[in-house]
Amino acid sequence: MAEVSKEEIERKVAAGEKLDRADLRGAQLGGAKLAGASLRRCDFEGANLESANLQKVVLKNASLREAYLAGADLRDANLDGADLEGANLQKANLAGANLGRANLEGADLTGANLRTAKLAHAQLDSANLGGADLTAADLSRCDLVECYLGGVKASKANFSGANLEEANLEEGDFADASFDDAQLPSIGATAASFARANFLKADLSNANLVRANFGGADLRKANLERAKLDQTVLTGARIAGIQTKDAALGAIVMDWADVSPDDDGSKRAQGEAAMAALTGKTADVGARPKNVRYFGAGDVLRFAALEFDAGASVEIESRFEQCSIAIGEGTELIVGSEGVLAGCSIKGGGHITIHGQFFEGDKGPGIVGPRRVVVTTGGVLVGSVAQGDDPTMFGFEPGSRLRMKITRSTNGRRSE
Amino acid sequence: MSDMEKKTLVEEGTEFKGSLTSKCPVEVRGRIDGDLNAPSLHVSTSGAVSGKVYVGQLVSQGEIAGEFDADSIQLSGTVKDNTVIRAKTLEVRLTPPSGNKMQVIFGEVALDVGDAPRDAASAGGKKKKTDEKEKDGKSVPPPGE
Repeated sequence: MAEVSKEEIERKVAAGEKLDRADLRGAQLGGAKLAGASLRRCDFEGANLESANLQKVVLKNASLREAYLAGADLRDANLDGADLEGANLQKANLAGANLGRANLEGADLTGANLRTAKLAHAQLDSANLGGADLTAADLSRCDLVECYLGGVKASKANFSGANLEEANLEEGDFADASFDDAQLPSIGATAASFARANFLKADLSNANLVRANFGGADLRKANLERAKLDQTVLTGARIAGIQTKDAALGAIVMDWADVSPDDDGSKRAQGEAAMAALTGKTADVGARPKNVRYFGAGDVLRFAALEFDAGASVEIESRFEQCSIAIGEGTELIVGSEGVLAGCSIKGGGHITIHGQFFEGDKGPGIVGPRRVVVTTGGVLVGSVAQGDDPTMFGFEPGSRLRMKITRSTNGRRSE
Repeated sequence: MSDMEKKTLVEEGTEFKGSLTSKCPVEVRGRIDGDLNAPSLHVSTSGAVSGKVYVGQLVSQGEIAGEFDADSIQLSGTVKDNTVIRAKTLEVRLTPPSGNKMQVIFGEVALDVGDAPRDAASAGGKKKKTDEKEKDGKSVPPPGE
């Protein structure tokens, strides 16, 4: 047991003395000011370091097993190879800290700040990270088996090659995070956000992905066999080579998906074609359905009146000027990312998806009676949309640009 | 989510009329009629907000009406008539299955979202409107595939 007092330790640290290899087991160091101290290989097992100032301390290979570090300030500390098994780090500030190869098995990191922390190869199995901030942290090749990551903020975090088997990620924010080659079998990820995250070749078999958001995520060659998906968002996800054998696919939100194998955005699929790509039931997912009209990039149409039958699929990558377009019930009209409809009008009960740009003409409303209008990231809609007798379904992705008025049907329907 | 986070809560069954300014996030499960200024506003499914609202972030699953200015907005629920929404970014999701149900019911609404869009080729476009030669041009059939 340690017999030195807190004051004595603080005095030694202030004097610049090294305390490497010191035996401080069970020491009462709550609130101690030890910033910048050299504490390599020290033994703090069971010590109380609550709210201590440990900024930039060097605790390489130190033992902090079962230590009480709640609220401690460990910013930029070096804990490389430290043993923190069972330690209490609730609300500790570990921003920028080096925890590479550290043992945090069963540690309590609830509400801790781990922004930009380096945790590569660390052991975090059965640790509790509920509500922690892991923004831009490096957790590559970490062991996170059965770890609790509920409600974490982990945008831009790196989980490449990590093992998260049976971890709980419910309601966490993992936007733009990397999970490539990660092991995530049997994870619980209800209502988690994985927008634009990278799951290339990741194993998500048996995962519970109900209400999770994979919008824009890279799921190429990911394994989702026997996973459960219901109310799961996959719009804009890259799904070439995804494996969903025996997956429980409930209601999936997937207005479109990128099915190009080389991640070049060359092939987009919608509706049934997108679902076929997800389930692997159609070999040629890039094939266009029957009754399809395509207007390629570089073409310019002016003053044209175009009419498309019900059920047709129309994709416009061209520039249309002063054109009027009539679409039948259920017609899919897609303005591709290169497409521009300037001074145009669209009438009819079809489904309109705008990746490019739509500008209405002088005589509004530019869009009349659509069943559905979706403007994706980067899409532009300038004009009025007059809803039909049945209200229009609208979808707007973040990054869409809108100057629009939505009006009701002129047939007297009122909801108030 | 941190339960410790302080927020102003207008609970279900509570109606607030007047002006509300808060430095905390505001969650509305009841009803607010009036002006509201806060870092963020969450209108839950049972909540309703009507008035002029200036917030950093708005997440609404309830009913909103009036003028809403925010950096980012996530909408579901109902947007009533005569509502103006201005935001840097707006997210409205279609709900499953495959978008066959609506997540948001819009009344008469104006949306002003993101940077002002401009048709890059429109400089010549306005001129074309008075170009009589093209005005009586016939319908052009779409090019073959």
